[in-house]
Amino acid sequence: MAGAARHLLLAPAAVLLLGFFVLPYLNMLVISVMTPSPTAAYLHVFTLRNYAAIVGDAFTWGVIWHTIQIGVLTTAIALAVSYPLAYHLARAPRRRKGLLMALVISPLLVGVLIRTYGWMILLQDTGLINQARAALGLRPLALMYNDLGVLIGLVHVFIPFMVLAITGPIQGIDPELELAARSLGAGFWRTFWRVTFPLSMPGVVAGTILVFVLTISSYVIPSLLGGFKVLTVPILVIRTITELFNWPGGSAFAILFFVITIAVLWAYLRALGRAAHPGS
Amino acid sequence: MAEIGLRGLTKRFGEVTAVSGLTLEAASGELVALLGPSGCGKTTTLRMVAGFETPTAGRITLGDRDVTGEAPEHRNCGMVFQHYALFPHLTVAQNVAFGLQMRRVPRADSERRVAAILDKVGLGGLGRRLPRELSGGQQQRTALARALVINPSVLLLDEPLANLDAKLREEMRFYIRSLQREFGITTLYVTHDQAEALVLADRVAVLMDGVLRQFDAPEEIYHRPRSAAVAAFIGLTNLLPGTVVSRAGEAMVVDTPAGRVRGRGVPDLAPGARAMLSIRPEHIDLGGEAADGANRLRGVVVERTFLGAITDVRVQVGDGLVLRVQGRATAPQRGGERVTVSFPDDAAWAVPADA
Repeated sequence: MAGAARHLLLAPAAVLLLGFFVLPYLNMLVISVMTPSPTAAYLHVFTLRNYAAIVGDAFTWGVIWHTIQIGVLTTAIALAVSYPLAYHLARAPRRRKGLLMALVISPLLVGVLIRTYGWMILLQDTGLINQARAALGLRPLALMYNDLGVLIGLVHVFIPFMVLAITGPIQGIDPELELAARSLGAGFWRTFWRVTFPLSMPGVVAGTILVFVLTISSYVIPSLLGGFKVLTVPILVIRTITELFNWPGGSAFAILFFVITIAVLWAYLRALGRAAHPGS
Repeated sequence: MAEIGLRGLTKRFGEVTAVSGLTLEAASGELVALLGPSGCGKTTTLRMVAGFETPTAGRITLGDRDVTGEAPEHRNCGMVFQHYALFPHLTVAQNVAFGLQMRRVPRADSERRVAAILDKVGLGGLGRRLPRELSGGQQQRTALARALVINPSVLLLDEPLANLDAKLREEMRFYIRSLQREFGITTLYVTHDQAEALVLADRVAVLMDGVLRQFDAPEEIYHRPRSAAVAAFIGLTNLLPGTVVSRAGEAMVVDTPAGRVRGRGVPDLAPGARAMLSIRPEHIDLGGEAADGANRLRGVVVERTFLGAITDVRVQVGDGLVLRVQGRATAPQRGGERVTVSFPDDAAWAVPADA
């Protein structure tokens, strides 16, 4: 009875996931093998041509590759910025920790559109930064409508996720372990790489996967700060559906990218597992 | 030559002085216990020797090296932490090999030394286990092996037995002592357990409120404490207030509310000084058949408690003065019974009344 009651606790999340995630995805899977039509959403005629068209198109592979590049870069930069911050937070006295944590989360308090327009005011060709440069007699910099602008916007919003994911595990590391390493002859950096970093890996794995997945699926930031000159998979999928009215084509692209994402994450976790247990 | 030397060592945390002007030394191969109640500065002292805390003032020398400003990784101290601080992501063998890797010891050599030390501490065959798969005692021995395998110049132990159950703690005392002797390694041993300090140490440094109160061999600390505080902290004792009447060398006569007592005491007690007599319960006899020349006090039995091997009897010998007497009581005393307690001259030890 207690066991049954415990399983019941899963019900709300299961219903939510099933209704709003699994079923829509299954629907999309079905649509992706239907025939596109200029007069209806799609025709109920089975075809694999949608997939064949994407797989055979070098352009779509370029977009996929570019999306993954942006994902990896954003994740790497966010990790590099967030780790020292998370370490400081984890070791800070309790009262200061609360204040710092509020500051870290503050980017999330502003809606994505407003925040992104804020960046545009700063970054555009006639924005604050370039006005300041012009006043100093410097050449304007292309800070927007390119990968750089997209990276700036994405890293900014995803740092809180990374910090939150890493802080907990670092907090769980007994500071005496670092002292033990020091007394055994390890300097600051070797202590970090041999003790602190490996023990914080659960947080690093969670944070990097979270940020990577959020990055490659983000739409608003790449479209506004990339000005449609930066093409990513979500932008292309939405264009296929809303501008070309090709529901099956967009669905097939989304499903393919879903599979590729799973494959990338699987390879990532395997590589980490190898690094943690060499030789096994 | 002193292997560990602390001179005028002081540590302040803001307004709080944790350690104040501590000076002591440990000779080569000696085991010195830093003993005191919690918050007395003993762990802070150990952390300064290890290099985890920077002294506010004073010097630390290891051998002929002044290490006061040196980073912990350059001090070559073998440290055993209270909670062992074993690396949870590394196996027992990897934990022990850590310090050798940091010293760039060739792999084959390192493996041989790790295997040898694990055998020595009785963990042969457990090298591939993770720390969490070990019992408390095994974790303790892994921590010892990890500290010893690097051939440290000194061994630092921070309450190493505090997390073991009573029976294992007793065993490990003797084990650590014999291991320390075998390696001939100069050792600082932090503990709040006076029995542990007395059993293990060549010399005991009693710290209270950051100040070194006495630094002596265990027998001296136990039988000839320098102050009432040390007498009260080490073992169980009766403290009887009084005034010094006369003295000849170490021998002295002290008037107490319970009567005149002949005893001995610290050198700086002059006639007329207020003193505190420390008399250990096990040195007091009940009944009148004590040897000639013994001190005799009359009293009334207040309470009698059977403790197994011994019996504890509380005897009121004056207004508000109760002496505890412990021994193999032959005749069962009852509450209210009038008795005579006696103890030899050398069982009463006088210390200054307020120090």
